[in-house]
Amino acid sequence: MNTRLSRQRWTPYLFIAPFFVVFATFMVYPLATSVWLSLHQSRGFQYQVFVGGENFARLFRDPVFWKSVRNTFTFAAGTFLVQLPLALVLALIVNSKRVRGRNFFRLAFFSPVLVAGVFIAIIFGLAYDTRTGLVNDTLSKLAFTRVLIPWLEDEQWAMPAVILAGVWQWSGFNMIYFLAGLQGIRQELYEASSVDGANAWQAFWHITLPSLRPVITFVFVLSMIGSLQLFDLPWVLTNGTGGPNDSAMTMVMYLYKNGFQFVNLGYAATIGWVLFAIIMVISIIQLRFFRFGQEN
Amino acid sequence: MRDGFPLGKGPLVMIVMFIIAAAFVLGPTERSDKEVLEFWVFAATHYDEYKAREALFEAAHPGVDVQITNFGGTMHDKLLASLLSNFGAPDLAEVEITSIGRFLKGRIEHVGFQDLRPRLEREGWLEKHVQARFAPWSFQGRIFGLPHDLHPVVLLYRDDLFREAGVDLSQVETWDQFVEAGRKVAADTDGDGRQDRYALGLSRRNHGDMFVLLLQRDGGMFDADGDIVIDDPLAADTLDFYRRLFDDGIARDYAGTGGFTEPATFALMQDGVICAVLSPDWYVGILKKYTSPAMDGKWRAMGLPAWTSGGRRTTTMGGTMVGMTKQCENPDLAWEFMKFSYFDTDALVNRYDTTRIIPPLKEAFANPVFHVPDTFLGGQRLGTLFTELALQLPPRYQNPYWSEAADIFDEVVLNAVDGRVAPQEALTELASQVERIMADDRLSEGP
Repeated sequence: MNTRLSRQRWTPYLFIAPFFVVFATFMVYPLATSVWLSLHQSRGFQYQVFVGGENFARLFRDPVFWKSVRNTFTFAAGTFLVQLPLALVLALIVNSKRVRGRNFFRLAFFSPVLVAGVFIAIIFGLAYDTRTGLVNDTLSKLAFTRVLIPWLEDEQWAMPAVILAGVWQWSGFNMIYFLAGLQGIRQELYEASSVDGANAWQAFWHITLPSLRPVITFVFVLSMIGSLQLFDLPWVLTNGTGGPNDSAMTMVMYLYKNGFQFVNLGYAATIGWVLFAIIMVISIIQLRFFRFGQEN
Repeated sequence: MRDGFPLGKGPLVMIVMFIIAAAFVLGPTERSDKEVLEFWVFAATHYDEYKAREALFEAAHPGVDVQITNFGGTMHDKLLASLLSNFGAPDLAEVEITSIGRFLKGRIEHVGFQDLRPRLEREGWLEKHVQARFAPWSFQGRIFGLPHDLHPVVLLYRDDLFREAGVDLSQVETWDQFVEAGRKVAADTDGDGRQDRYALGLSRRNHGDMFVLLLQRDGGMFDADGDIVIDDPLAADTLDFYRRLFDDGIARDYAGTGGFTEPATFALMQDGVICAVLSPDWYVGILKKYTSPAMDGKWRAMGLPAWTSGGRRTTTMGGTMVGMTKQCENPDLAWEFMKFSYFDTDALVNRYDTTRIIPPLKEAFANPVFHVPDTFLGGQRLGTLFTELALQLPPRYQNPYWSEAADIFDEVVLNAVDGRVAPQEALTELASQVERIMADDRLSEGP
């Protein structure tokens, strides 16, 4: 009897054990190791020296790290100020019944997501060429004069070039979230507002935006996390250099550089934990700001 | 079907695909009874070169299976991880010259490659090579790899455009004379008020070209003892000259991300915007690939202008080594393969034939393949020029902190060329920063 009871007690744990074994191996152990690494100067598992908080102290004095933080937040700002509003506008357009061929436009706007980030970076690298690139050529035709913007050659332009490529890559993806949110808004609300004499702008401001609040919160948090983890696009666009004077160096690029190019694993782990702290703090602020989880 | 499978057709297809994929992953793999010699490379051209002779080695060594894998650009990270973890490294691996520094970090006895000096000395190979070429792969007296190449540098120039400007560039001997010639060729060809022809293409945004000019003068980032010497007045003078080339309209930055292998840069050359480049041996084949036959006969090659009359006419750019890892289980067999690929004249002739790379073994230079006229260069014997210059090759000393130093050096060159910093001041600061990084590294002293 006791044996059966004991077996019954342990059976559920046995069923969920595979998940926890995998989780512990691939998540808990690496995370714990990275904490340990951040307190050491380390070159692999065999060679390390305990340095306490020295890596953190050095990080806060490191001008390249702060430059990478500034660049990363510049990209995030570009995402919030350009990419997300554009995604919302695209969603409103492809949600409108007055637009013909909506499904085609939905697919067209979403299609950049189907292309790997590395390919997008390679294509934009060619398009950004000062003399022969598609971007300057198009701008020249629009401006009726030869436009020679040194997109990747000048530190002032390198990050705008990354932001622009990011807008092209991700606007369609975020559009899908907004579109799903728009389709969930009850039509009766618009009909009632119309009866009350509200114009299109008032309906958008007082019905659409408040109704989209959970989606906006979700997209903002997701985009912020994605922006802070930015790596492949600037890495390929700048050929791994971080651009002129590190003008397009992001935090994750700097982490990679320290970990693999400078073989300073402890310092790279420190950057990783500071990045984690930044993401966590900002996500909490965003959730509080949008009052996520509160019904009213 | 929907009734037959409770979740519908889609999930059923996914489950079937998962089972098929799992069968492939978990299924039995072909096991070789032969002794495996694993070799990692990072370039397709190198892979083709080794692969072409793999069967010959296996025929000469029955029971041996040479497995060559090209991991491309990610190879160095993979190799580093396997060496640091003491698990999973191949017997032999290539390393590119800008990456080798990171493999030398820590105490010298912890480096993941075997010291080849005893074998090289015992068998008398050192003096048969251009010995300066062992410097990039050596540290603290140990030799961690065999040089794959020499990569001497010539000046590759558009003879048609220089002659159009009334200059016979082949008569130029020094950099000062080149600057004079460059002033004649510089022009605004379309009359829009903007200069669109430059004598020389150089990188403004990274240190590469400036560094090879410094090597030509026997300067460098580090010396043979591992001390940083980039703050030497010679380096400041070179950087100042480099800056003036841009200021005076002699040099123009490369296109795109600043490399001379980018299609947009080849367009600059084809359109006559850039009339000359510093070209290592491997670059000629790439230029030819992008611009031939349109540019056939228009280019010529010459030794680099010297810094002083009668001075060195070349430098070196890029490079690869092959090293034997400490995880290699049969070092004697690996050594045989290294010799077969690096010290055998047939292998080196094959290398030159397929990649135009000049090998470090001097006795190979006599082979006729190195002296064939090149129609792309108007019948010039390019191999002859390269092999003559190769004997003047300057040493390029290696250091574990190369990556950190090079990273800061990029900024120094950009800021100096753009006039934001004075060369000597910037190089002194660079040296101080690298010295601080070296001093902060407690692992070099060892636990």
